[in-house]
Amino acid sequence: MAPVSLEKLTKVYPNGFEAVHEFDLEVADGEFMILVGPSGCGKTTAMRMVAGLEEISSGVLRIDGVVMNDVSPRDRDIAMVFQNYALYPHMTVGENIGFALKMKHIPKDEIEKKVRETAEILGLTEWIDRKPAQLSGGQRQRVAMGRAIVREPKVFLMDEPLSNLDAKLRVQMRAEVARIQRRLGVATIYVTHDQVEAMTMGDRVAVMRSGVVLQCDKPQTIYDHPLNLFVAGFMGSPSMNLFEVHLGEGGRTLFLGTQKVELPATVLAAKPSLVKFANKDVVVGIRPESLMIAGTKTNDNAKDFVFFEGDVDLVEALGSEILVHFSTDAHRVEAEGVYSDDAEGLDAGLITQRGEGVARVPPETQLVIGERVRLQVNPKRLFFFDPATGLALSE
Amino acid sequence: MRFFNRVWTRTFSYIVLLAFTAFFMVPVIWLLFSPFKTDHQLISENPFALGTLENLGHAVRVMFTFEDYSLLNWLKNSAIYSFGGIFIALIFSIPAGYGLAHTQFIGRRTLLGITLFVMIMPATALVLPLFLEANSVHAVGTPLAVILPFSFFPFGVYLAYIFYSSSVPKDLLAAARIDGCNEWDVFRRIALPLARPIVALVTFFAFVANWNNFFLPFVMLPNSTNYPLPIGLQDLLSTTPAFNPGQGGQVGIYRPELAVATIVAMAPVMIVFLFAQRSLVSGLLAGSTKE
Ligand SMILES: Nc1ncnc2c1ncn2[C@@H]1O[C@H](COP(=O)(O)OP(=O)(O)OP(=O)(O)O)[C@@H](O)[C@H]1O
Ligand SMILES: [Mg+2]
Repeated sequence: MAPVSLEKLTKVYPNGFEAVHEFDLEVADGEFMILVGPSGCGKTTAMRMVAGLEEISSGVLRIDGVVMNDVSPRDRDIAMVFQNYALYPHMTVGENIGFALKMKHIPKDEIEKKVRETAEILGLTEWIDRKPAQLSGGQRQRVAMGRAIVREPKVFLMDEPLSNLDAKLRVQMRAEVARIQRRLGVATIYVTHDQVEAMTMGDRVAVMRSGVVLQCDKPQTIYDHPLNLFVAGFMGSPSMNLFEVHLGEGGRTLFLGTQKVELPATVLAAKPSLVKFANKDVVVGIRPESLMIAGTKTNDNAKDFVFFEGDVDLVEALGSEILVHFSTDAHRVEAEGVYSDDAEGLDAGLITQRGEGVARVPPETQLVIGERVRLQVNPKRLFFFDPATGLALSE
Repeated sequence: MRFFNRVWTRTFSYIVLLAFTAFFMVPVIWLLFSPFKTDHQLISENPFALGTLENLGHAVRVMFTFEDYSLLNWLKNSAIYSFGGIFIALIFSIPAGYGLAHTQFIGRRTLLGITLFVMIMPATALVLPLFLEANSVHAVGTPLAVILPFSFFPFGVYLAYIFYSSSVPKDLLAAARIDGCNEWDVFRRIALPLARPIVALVTFFAFVANWNNFFLPFVMLPNSTNYPLPIGLQDLLSTTPAFNPGQGGQVGIYRPELAVATIVAMAPVMIVFLFAQRSLVSGLLAGSTKE
């Protein structure tokens, strides 16, 4: 029996706005489920419905098999970590952590013992008598975690718990939260904006847009097999290069703007449905790391690769790698609402309205801005999408 | 030129500030000096001349023993009316402000509008209807006739509302609900303890309003044993020869004695201010959520 199961959960706000539409989700025992999606897509709303802070308009919510739709938050046996921590300002760290136990009328000495253990786990022992106002952001975040884990609930809900921390602390806490969750083995729903958190922390990821779950699967599966344009563009940073291209006769060539690109027979063999798009437009997707600068790396199978040319617009050396921003005369596709709040994302001011793309190449690559480079990609790494529906061509 | 401007601006603001300070402080200083003098000295000598401690002792003795310790009785009445009113006002205004800020119910906005409306209505405008109301339940002349109207304090509701809607985030209450609180626990364990600064604020404003209120007790309380201080003071004024020459001097109350009574009337407001002020400026909420 799944600890949490959402069945066609829908939220219509009093003003008539449907923030979540028929949300289906099953979180297994001990599973770490990540919820990602652009701002305003309904992640918080979905989570608050699970918590009981927001009324469920329709659908069924079960926790441990019991229908919870009309059960008050305090009887759902869930713990939640809020983005703003929501610590009780008039209580000390210890009192904050022990508050839920106190409300359960657990004996005082037992509360004290558990609070001490929890503080120990989170490295808060030193601050146990301080008020939240006297703590740093990272310490407050730990107290918020402590308040959740001390209860040993059936479900953890975390709404962007790390988003208020600075980058370094976020990396540290990311590992810590994941470690604690594994150790406690409590089913967890975790909302985030952060690509890395989404890829690394969870067992599964649910990608949402406009109140609808588009795909829910293991992070690597989502990365390797996005079901549609939106998921393809949303997951991954820098995001996938998406170009609208024209497919030639029989699907053996494609026209990237004015460039004619030969497709090896293996492409059609792997994706027979591509034939249907012969003489039509199709969207092709290439992950930045799949792109290589031709000639910089000798490759035996180079003749099986797909080649095209681009002009180097900008070179971002990140130390471990180089991001090459190039442009072609093809039409770049913006998966509607695709967004990234990542610092390494494209700087909008630098984008020319041509067919820009990004390649991720080794740091020793020598590049000159303005030069024309030949890019190569393994045809196995090409994604194809139906421009009309946005769905990926799987077969 | 610039330098000259700056000096001139400064000088000018000091002059204005000094003028206003003098305007407001001179009467207070004069009042504080008055009990040290005799009635005659008060009107014939330099206003800021120092008197003697004997004079002060005399004035205090006469004033406090006057009519079988009437002054103390009025003081006691004032305290009962003021604090009784504040107590009830707090019991109602804190939960009311909380409810208006953090719950959704039909008519919430209307209620808020009405609160604002009665808040800006002059209190004296309500005295006559209140009198008729009290009269119809035969409460006129009893302490309740003053305490109950005092406890009606929409400004307190408004202050609590502002506080709860601006300084207590909804997530804080949500966290408490998830932690196992029912609605009453949320209020008692989270919202109420956080309201300390607002309790101080409401207490202070309600106290000043109640303590200085003249018209309502004047109408409601015909019997001099029930008088609060302001009515007692005005009663004294009307029996003092200096203000009412027809009265003759039989009661022995002159200006220095009146000054003593006035200081007694003023002191509690100042003391309450000193105490309330400390908790008014309170960073109790800092750090609950990160901005
Ligand atoms: N009380 C409300 N009444 C009406 N609409 C609301 C209400 N609360 C949220 N919404 C709308 O519902 C949508 C989803 O909001 P929600 O807070 O769940 O988004 P989110 O995915 O958590 O976004 P973010 O990543 O920015 O936190 C938004 O478009 C928002 O404007
Ligand atoms: Mg949100």
